[in-house]
Amino acid sequence: MADIKVASETGLDVVAVTGRAPARAGAWTVIRRFCAKQPLGAVGGGIMLVMLLTAIFAEPLSTHDPIATDAANTLARPGADHWLGSDHLGRDIYSRIVHGARVSLIVGVLSTLAGSVLGGIIGLLSAYFGGKSDLITQRVLDILQGLPLLVLALVMSAALGPSVQNVVIAISVPIIPRAARVIRASVLTIREMQYVEAARALGIRHLRIAFRHVLPNTMGPFIVLATAQLGSAILTEAALSFLGLGVPEPYPSWGRMLSVSAAEYAQKAPWLVLFPGVAISLAVFGSNLLGDALRDTLDPRLRGT
Amino acid sequence: MSACGVLTLLVLGPVILSLVAIATPAVSQTPATPKSGGVLNAMQREDLPQGFNTHETGTISSVWPVMPCFNNLVLFDPAKKVESVDSIIPELAEKWSWQDNYRNLVFLLRKNVKWHDGQPFTSKDVKYTFDVVREAKDAPAKLRTSPRKDWYANVENIEAPDPHTVIFHLKRPQPALLLMLASGYSPVYPAHVPLAELRTRCVGTGPFKLKEWKRGEYVEYVKNPDYFVKGRPYLDGIRYVVIVERGTKYAALQAGRLDVAFPGESTKTVVDQVKAAVPKMVVDVVSQNVNDNLLMNVTKPPFNNVKIRRAISMAIDRGAYIKAVHQGGAVVGASMQPKPYGVWGLVDKDLQALPGYGKPAEEKEKAKKAMAELGYSSSNPLKTEMATRAIAIYVDFASFVINELKQIGVEASLKQIETAQWHAFATRREYGLGANLTGIGVDDPDANFYENYACTSPRNYTGYCDEQVGKMFDTQSQELDPKKRYALVAQIQKKLEEEAARPMMGWRLDYFAQWPHVKGLVPHHNLYNYGRMQDVWLDK
Repeated sequence: MADIKVASETGLDVVAVTGRAPARAGAWTVIRRFCAKQPLGAVGGGIMLVMLLTAIFAEPLSTHDPIATDAANTLARPGADHWLGSDHLGRDIYSRIVHGARVSLIVGVLSTLAGSVLGGIIGLLSAYFGGKSDLITQRVLDILQGLPLLVLALVMSAALGPSVQNVVIAISVPIIPRAARVIRASVLTIREMQYVEAARALGIRHLRIAFRHVLPNTMGPFIVLATAQLGSAILTEAALSFLGLGVPEPYPSWGRMLSVSAAEYAQKAPWLVLFPGVAISLAVFGSNLLGDALRDTLDPRLRGT
Repeated sequence: MSACGVLTLLVLGPVILSLVAIATPAVSQTPATPKSGGVLNAMQREDLPQGFNTHETGTISSVWPVMPCFNNLVLFDPAKKVESVDSIIPELAEKWSWQDNYRNLVFLLRKNVKWHDGQPFTSKDVKYTFDVVREAKDAPAKLRTSPRKDWYANVENIEAPDPHTVIFHLKRPQPALLLMLASGYSPVYPAHVPLAELRTRCVGTGPFKLKEWKRGEYVEYVKNPDYFVKGRPYLDGIRYVVIVERGTKYAALQAGRLDVAFPGESTKTVVDQVKAAVPKMVVDVVSQNVNDNLLMNVTKPPFNNVKIRRAISMAIDRGAYIKAVHQGGAVVGASMQPKPYGVWGLVDKDLQALPGYGKPAEEKEKAKKAMAELGYSSSNPLKTEMATRAIAIYVDFASFVINELKQIGVEASLKQIETAQWHAFATRREYGLGANLTGIGVDDPDANFYENYACTSPRNYTGYCDEQVGKMFDTQSQELDPKKRYALVAQIQKKLEEEAARPMMGWRLDYFAQWPHVKGLVPHHNLYNYGRMQDVWLDK
């Protein structure tokens, strides 16, 4: 914790220490301290870890082929053969949820990363150079931010068509202005600091100062932002899939598992909507808990509150 | 009471009670005297895609809410569930007769019929309508598209010798022409109203006049006081309420906000739920005359290879498909509506001899072997794309087939197409495989074969074109002996399935639901022909 604080206060030279020192001090120690101070965050982290492992080991973990239909076992109740039941086409819900974790995580992480990185770069350059370019950039971002995340994602997805890469694009674009705003706010403070002025005085090129000296000091807010957006991205993917604009059938996606057909059979076979709903809720809950805990940990103003 | 009396009572009591129980519904179903008045609230599954221009459309979403505005020359009797040449009744035509051995069809029209705008209806309107639909060289107007122009490919010309007589002159005998004219797809248009206007307003001769069409919300009709059938319609009006989401529309029906369902929309599962909540809801199980069919683009490799098409057809277990995708709410059949719902379906023995209709495991093995001979297997799959409409019922169909094909070495990815683009997309044949639904306007081979398999038809989505099969269509069309015609039609069906021209997955059943106070609305074994609403009344 102390290392991180030093890093944010002294900038460039200590950044390297931030990366190395805690690892040497013992990852377990850091994790233990984090768990002690942020128990809810630890629960969130645990959920996300389970989700990550499920996504990685989806093949060995699943009991059936997630797209294999079975007319003899349609709408089967949860039991020994189908742990979480089967859907109206006889597909195994448990295996579909396990494989759905992969889709949710890939889409969630990729879109969050793409949106946050792109938004971060825009925010960095906009704030660092300031002036008219900052003004114009901010007005464009105002327009983008004026549209709710889901609405913008819906428009993008409808225009691009349903596929994994298009869903990633559709979700990452609305994240850009949010990321840009957060990073810009940090950079506006950092660019006035003495070490940045010193770098300028030494004649270092602007882009080098921006990326080498300013950007690393925005990592705290960046991590918080990315974690917070992850839950939102997972939820948006589920919403897009629910509306038929997400990852196409027959590949499983939690949101699509809740969509029209499932709703039709929900009274007769509630497990069709129950388990994917629980999976979405847990994933969003987990990422939000983790995001909140990281924010509390990394933001000096909130530390100790 | 003596022991004998008690015994008699014990034995006969239940029998008598059973008879009373059986008789009671019959008594309650005895037709009461129709009452006039009231507004029928009908379900509408989506907005009208082509407005009121039925001749430009190919969907029940248009036909159902537009039928009350128009009339045909003749119509399938709305009161009879099974449609045949014997159930045809007069509408704008008072009488008709075949002449010259089914080469000329003469209609004598009703007099004093007026369009909703007050103009008189004459034979000119009939000639105008069907010249436009068949895209005659001298047609005075042109539709954007005429999906059923091939229904009238055999019409040489249409003559209107006087204001109340119309003669259809045919190139060769075609008794089925009368059936096609009796379909909900065959309204007579006003010659004095431009076609483009019919996309936004309705001027017909029908029992109801358009009051308002609020796009995306409702279509509202009021009674036509000048209707040519005296005492009809009974209703003061009809309101078709557009509700797209399935759960919402059935909640509206269940709550009594709607009086009747939409044809073809009620699946077994949905209706089971409605019936459980409202036991008195009346549910009629009828065939839709709509089939789920697999499109294979025969104009491009690899599906121009009949061996691949046949293997794909053999790979799909129809019984499992119906059980999984329709929860049992469909029946297996070839290219004509299966018996007992349709007249022309193949008998079971013939059906089971066709590729894909035998024992599923054996058929799948044959398919695997055929694909292996062509060099495809699960380790070296044939990769293709399966296109379908972005609607749940289509997507379920496609998902099921994709899994079946995976087992014989075909790897298909799903591509969903928006509804508005689907028909144009299929017409342009921008696909390899496609999961499609086709409704047949009339249970007659002419209506089906010429529309969906004729080389020049815009609705021939697969591009299947065989001159010899075309000749077989013509031969059956002019055959006057029903038995001989049935044999010819059976032969064509076998040929179409053997060549996997458009493999059939199943024929859909409709679980049409309506409140018991709705009287006179009899669902047919065909979606398209019972929406006139002239005899419908409310027993409230």
